[in-house]
Amino acid sequence: MAEFSTSVKEVGDINVVYLKGYLDAHTAPVLENTLSNLIDYKKYSIVVNFKELAYISSAGLGVFMAFIEKIRENSGDIKLSSMSDKVFNIFDLLGFPLLYEIFKSEEEAVTKFSETKKLEDR
Amino acid sequence: MIFNTENLRDNIKVQTFLGNFTVLLIYKIFFYSPDSFILSILNEILVILTVVTLILFLSDAVHSRRINPLSMVMNVGILNAVIFFMITFSGTLMGGFSEISNGTSGNPGILFSLISFLYSFVIIGSLAYIFLVFKELFFLKQKKNVSTYFNTMVVFFMLASLTSVLKKVPDLGYIRDTFFIISILLIVINSIKISWIAFIIKKEKISLLVLSVIISILFVVNIINGAQSDSYSQTMIQFSAGLNQFFKIMMVYGAIYFSILFFTTLFHIPTAEAFDRKAQEVNFLQYFSKLITESLDFKDLAETVTDITTKVCDAHASWIIWKDGDDFKSIANKNIGYYDSNIITRFILQNLQRKSGEGTMVFNLNRFENKSQLSEEFFNIAVASLKAHNELKGFLVAARKVNLNFDDEDTNAMDTFSDYASVAIENSKLLEESIEKERLEKELDVAREIQRKILPSKNPEYENLTISSVFIPAFEVGGDYYDFFEIDDNKFGFVIADVSGKGISAAFIMAEVKGIFESLSKTIESPKEILIKANEILERTLDRKNFVSAAYGVLDFNKEVLRVARAGHCPIILLRNNIAENLRPSGIGLGLNFSRHFADTLEETEIKLKDEDTIVLYTDGITEAKNSALEDFGDKYFEEILLDNYEKSVSEISNKVIHAVTLFSQNNPQHDDITLVILKWKQKLNIDGEKEWQNLAPQLKK
Repeated sequence: MAEFSTSVKEVGDINVVYLKGYLDAHTAPVLENTLSNLIDYKKYSIVVNFKELAYISSAGLGVFMAFIEKIRENSGDIKLSSMSDKVFNIFDLLGFPLLYEIFKSEEEAVTKFSETKKLEDR
Repeated sequence: MIFNTENLRDNIKVQTFLGNFTVLLIYKIFFYSPDSFILSILNEILVILTVVTLILFLSDAVHSRRINPLSMVMNVGILNAVIFFMITFSGTLMGGFSEISNGTSGNPGILFSLISFLYSFVIIGSLAYIFLVFKELFFLKQKKNVSTYFNTMVVFFMLASLTSVLKKVPDLGYIRDTFFIISILLIVINSIKISWIAFIIKKEKISLLVLSVIISILFVVNIINGAQSDSYSQTMIQFSAGLNQFFKIMMVYGAIYFSILFFTTLFHIPTAEAFDRKAQEVNFLQYFSKLITESLDFKDLAETVTDITTKVCDAHASWIIWKDGDDFKSIANKNIGYYDSNIITRFILQNLQRKSGEGTMVFNLNRFENKSQLSEEFFNIAVASLKAHNELKGFLVAARKVNLNFDDEDTNAMDTFSDYASVAIENSKLLEESIEKERLEKELDVAREIQRKILPSKNPEYENLTISSVFIPAFEVGGDYYDFFEIDDNKFGFVIADVSGKGISAAFIMAEVKGIFESLSKTIESPKEILIKANEILERTLDRKNFVSAAYGVLDFNKEVLRVARAGHCPIILLRNNIAENLRPSGIGLGLNFSRHFADTLEETEIKLKDEDTIVLYTDGITEAKNSALEDFGDKYFEEILLDNYEKSVSEISNKVIHAVTLFSQNNPQHDDITLVILKWKQKLNIDGEKEWQNLAPQLKK
């Protein structure tokens, strides 16, 4: 069975979730756990780094949908970053770029968060 | 005594006893004279017969009851007390009567005979019962066949009793004495073999200790009293010398047996607790192994494990630290809150490396800095690891609220028990998994059946449109769906969709999606409008994490145009003039967004059809089919095959593609459903061979 794992890094108020391996119907609960943990601790600013993700299935995509509503209600967001072309293609086909902000690199995504924060603070 | 004659009819023992009893009574009252030697011999024989038949009659009653040694001992004590009072007050009792009788005649009268007979009979009854108890106690928990020892002793009892008739011949007195002494020797030998004490619990042993002292003293007192009390010995000897002898033997037996019992019990007391514990441990293990085969529920089992742990190692609380992935959590807490158990669990996990020895580890919490956080005070804990197939599954923990270390015996008990528990827990887990697996397989059967029924059973046939469709289900139903709609004579609709997720839930969504498209295709013409409406309907039923990618198209035979809209689905490939064009109008998958955004971003494409235009609809089961190196089949390879064969018939193209996919992924199981639908447009020919450009209605071949 293909393996999948996540790890979380805190960058200020923002939590970066690193995905690694194959994200499908069988491994989706791992990511579900990670995200719901973050939400439990009221961490609503989340960047997901796809750099080491080899494959994502439709069930894997569904995980993001499951949490986005709650996160946006709490004026947070999930921003996606560092996707390989193949993974991006899957997101793109489904129209995810219309729903999520997708960035080339993790830094850009983090910066975007900080900028919106500054705007709100003003 | 009241006998129910109804029950006695079959009972020969009772009848013989009653017969003997009556004969003896009549004999005693009417014929007996102590002076005649022959008559006294006859007397002895009758008495012995009565005693023997009484014993036989009672033995069933004593034996049939479930034997509890302690209650039998109690009964002996009570009967002994009765005998004691009988002897003590024999003077008053018998003396009074003998005076009355003597007053009237010079000889003992009938009344006196009757009274003394009854008096003796109470003694006989008591002796018979006491004898039976001795017999039961003798055979209790004996592993070897020891009946010879007992029977020999009984024979000597009878000989000693019988020969006591010879007391009137002084020269032969030694015979009686010899038998008496041999009887006592046999009593001593037989009394040493008391094996049942080990099997009673400590509390019973202590009460037995007290009881045996009192009873053995009572027996000794009865011996002395019986010898000293004139009225008693006279009555007895007059009744039967043999009975008197038997009385003596029984009293001696009692005195010896209970004295030995006292000392044996005394020696057993120090080991009683250990024995009790071992016995309890064995009981628990037996109970537990029975439970393993009966209880299949993991939670129940874990709770039983901690419950028994507290008992086996004398602990106040117990819980299981269960390994869940990389996490450890406490489960099945017994007598301890989760708050406390979590604090101690953390302590254990921190200190685990320090004690890497095999078997149960013992920790003292005195040095534990967070001890003050505990809501209850715990002093000592013992931790045994739970392993299955050499893999650590968790720990079994026992905790004490008193400052009393777990000793070797506790840890040994815990070792044994944790081994049992590991196996049991592993079994229940495996079973749970296999049940789950079976359930899933059943579920998937149902899902596949639903899918099979939802998909069209055959392709529609048109004069200028050829259609082929291939569907290969994955083991776990992937949620692929395609359908054709013969809207009216001029219009043909088609849909291809992929429901996210797998199995039965995907199959149900599929069924719903089919219903939606089936009804919408009849009322709405525009593919874009249909997808927008479908998204609205799905909002009510779809889970937030589920979505459906779909592409819907309508082919107008009159206008010769194809209109398609795409909601997150794979592009539609148009093969024309050796070029593969990806039709990819913008659109978000159904169920991903329910705001206006969905409609705003959804586009519709219209294509003017040309002859030999080939339209390919597919799901990602094709492009994401994987080989053993986990490489994708890919869009490029897919297009290559399509272009290589685009001039062939739809079924040939489809065969080529499926063949290639199968070959590519032959060493890797198919993970997703594969759907491939190919449509080929053929322009109608005019009679003169030219292509017909007029808007002619296509005719269904039927």
